Amino acid sequence: MQRRQGTVEIFSTFIKFDADKFNGWITDAKLSRSMKVCLESSCSQESYTFWALYWYKVWENSEKACEQDACNRDINQNNYYSICAYAHLCAYLQESCYWAARKSALNSSGHSSLADFFQIAIANLSKILKSFNPKHSSHLKSYAELSFERIIRDVLRVRREADICSDVSLLLKVSRRRLIKSLQNMGLNDQNIENYVLAWECFGELYTSDNTQIRQRRKPDIAVLEAIANLYNSQILNRGLSSPAVEAQTIEKWLLSSARAIRNFLYPKMVPADAPLQDDGNATLLDMLPGNVEHSLITEIIEEQEAATFKNQQTQLNEVLNQAIAALDTKSQQLLQVYYSQQLTQTEIAKKLEIKQYKVSRMLSSIRKSLLVALTQWSQDTLHICPTSDLIASINISLEEWLKYYYRQTESIQLETV
Amino acid sequence: MSSTDTPFFIDANHLYLEIPPSLSQEQIYSSPGASRRAWINQLCLKVFLPWFQEEIAPSAKVFPNIASLPSFWELLNGTPITFDSYRLILVPTLAIDGDELRVPQEWLDIPQFAADYYIGVEVNPDDNLIKIFGYTTHAKLKNQGFLDNNDRTYSLESEDLIEDINVLAVALELNTSEILKAEISPLESVPETQATTILERLGNPQVIFPRLEIPFSTWSSLIAQSTWRKKLYAARQGLPVDNSITQWLQTGVNHFAQLWGWETKEFLIVSAQMRSSSSVQGLSRQLTIAENTYELRIYPRQTPEDIIWRFELRNSISGGQIPVGFKLRLLTEDSQEFENNEDIATSLVDMLYVEVILEPGESIGVNWEIEPTPADWEREILRF
Repeated sequence: MQRRQGTVEIFSTFIKFDADKFNGWITDAKLSRSMKVCLESSCSQESYTFWALYWYKVWENSEKACEQDACNRDINQNNYYSICAYAHLCAYLQESCYWAARKSALNSSGHSSLADFFQIAIANLSKILKSFNPKHSSHLKSYAELSFERIIRDVLRVRREADICSDVSLLLKVSRRRLIKSLQNMGLNDQNIENYVLAWECFGELYTSDNTQIRQRRKPDIAVLEAIANLYNSQILNRGLSSPAVEAQTIEKWLLSSARAIRNFLYPKMVPADAPLQDDGNATLLDMLPGNVEHSLITEIIEEQEAATFKNQQTQLNEVLNQAIAALDTKSQQLLQVYYSQQLTQTEIAKKLEIKQYKVSRMLSSIRKSLLVALTQWSQDTLHICPTSDLIASINISLEEWLKYYYRQTESIQLETV
Repeated sequence: MSSTDTPFFIDANHLYLEIPPSLSQEQIYSSPGASRRAWINQLCLKVFLPWFQEEIAPSAKVFPNIASLPSFWELLNGTPITFDSYRLILVPTLAIDGDELRVPQEWLDIPQFAADYYIGVEVNPDDNLIKIFGYTTHAKLKNQGFLDNNDRTYSLESEDLIEDINVLAVALELNTSEILKAEISPLESVPETQATTILERLGNPQVIFPRLEIPFSTWSSLIAQSTWRKKLYAARQGLPVDNSITQWLQTGVNHFAQLWGWETKEFLIVSAQMRSSSSVQGLSRQLTIAENTYELRIYPRQTPEDIIWRFELRNSISGGQIPVGFKLRLLTEDSQEFENNEDIATSLVDMLYVEVILEPGESIGVNWEIEPTPADWEREILRF
């Protein structure tokens, strides 16, 4: 993979895939212009990580503003800032996403495609940005890479499960929200989606499963389909919906296409990865480039960095965690070591450490709890903050990040440090 | 743990627990959906509660008691658990996507049911495991969640949940002071006659979505009352709605007696004068009072002219006694005292008892109280 040069390129270019291979960088002209404007109007030459943090803060602030302003959500400035910052961050994180996808492709057997994984991961970027907390994580890049890996793994898990489920079983194993997303993805309008979801709801109440296993459930027979249709028809009246009454065959058709929609949603069609900004409306938005950089944000970041407590804290944090790990018993230390430095399945971990399989997750969770207590207490004492659940949650995320890097130091991992 | 040959990777952020083999379902439900709902709630509870007691809160227990669970599961998804001064609702799902936490409105907007925490659990019966995929608080679910009027649920996207239940444990351990509950409006009251009419209508098992059938304001104040809720459950199973002791004993309707927390049992009655013993069929329930277990018994004593029903409180341990200060009290249907309606332990005694004498053909309703109040006590009216 060819390296990108310079701030403008790093914040405005995207990976191009040819089949499954890296095939160069594509520049987005608008982003490139936006980045140049920023560089020109800021007086100092800042590092890439600085600009990453800058765009992160722009994104975060505008998201917050959008949320507060939810009723007035149409094209406004915040929305635009959010899209623009998001695109810059998306460009910035291309390598992280690429390496995560490559690692996952190497680790997973069967027909897996690097470009497919890349696509899955980058589509979830907003989720990652949402949970990132610059106060507790050192670098967005390393944080994102770990999160990309998790997201890919998670999608693979759901795909695997869906692959071995019958259509009917899949309908029992889907959330309402996922069903709606899948139907939207299939291109149905709101009215149709409402009908399909109601049919699915009625199916859930009337379809008999013998309560042992779910995966290999058979299609409902005609009597059940008729009962579902009757229930559906009475519900549209009860709930005051304007849909027409349907027959059993329609119900059957809807259920099957819902199952198909769920599967399709799990295997999205490939969109060129170099076109993350081609949503309708966004393109026109991007034409109205802002000519100004948010100086107040720049000052804020510089001040934070100059306070220099951050580095100091990182060292202390290392100490705290090293001590906490040293205080664990040997078995716990081994478990952490095996879990974080090698990609093993639960069975393999259990075999290696001679513990019962079902205890692995439980033990791991309990060890991490003790580390989390130590870490939270330390931040309570040194940083004088009153911990809230949200704060503990973000400390927990940085703990995970720290553990992964701590145990992977031995591995030769490619890390682009700036 | 994974029964298939696909490799099972755990992720450290989520807790996975194994479902032990052979968990069978004893209760009956009106529809396949209700039955499945009860089944996954039961699996989830049986796995989660022991873990939670061991790792986080030893005092954790089902709220209000195990016997009431079927009356919830018949109608809605979720299992309430109390611990220390908190309550949580386990919200199991079969969904594998983990996209959202979806909680029936009842668990948030009924003051008696509302909890501090809501815990999303993916139940995977095929692989015999449950995965705790995230949790949130009442305040967050109510303020940031989306209330869907189609199925009357609050939902929160998974990215807005706290993924790792360890965070809950640490927050409790460090005693963080934060607002867990949002404000809840009080329920309106529903006149008795209306409650009876609705019970008749929704008691029909052909009504598949009883919770969506009437306006939420009416529905919520009705199912908040345990007696009404249990009657609805009974009606939907085609069981007698009145909790008539005579009927339970005659027909041996075990499921139903269990629902109200009772089991039928043979008691050995030793008659003092005759030096002989006979056995009688009665009802028994276990009570936890001040950390000790006791047994409340109800059984009939036949005399030539009257029927006497005897309520008897004993220590569960054989040879154990009733401490000083304990009171067993019976009240009429409308909570009025009557003559000789209570027995007080003024010294250590073997048992407390109160007897109710009925004339032939007479039918009455009685409710009982004990001081100190038993752990999972709910007022109930028993008919004779």
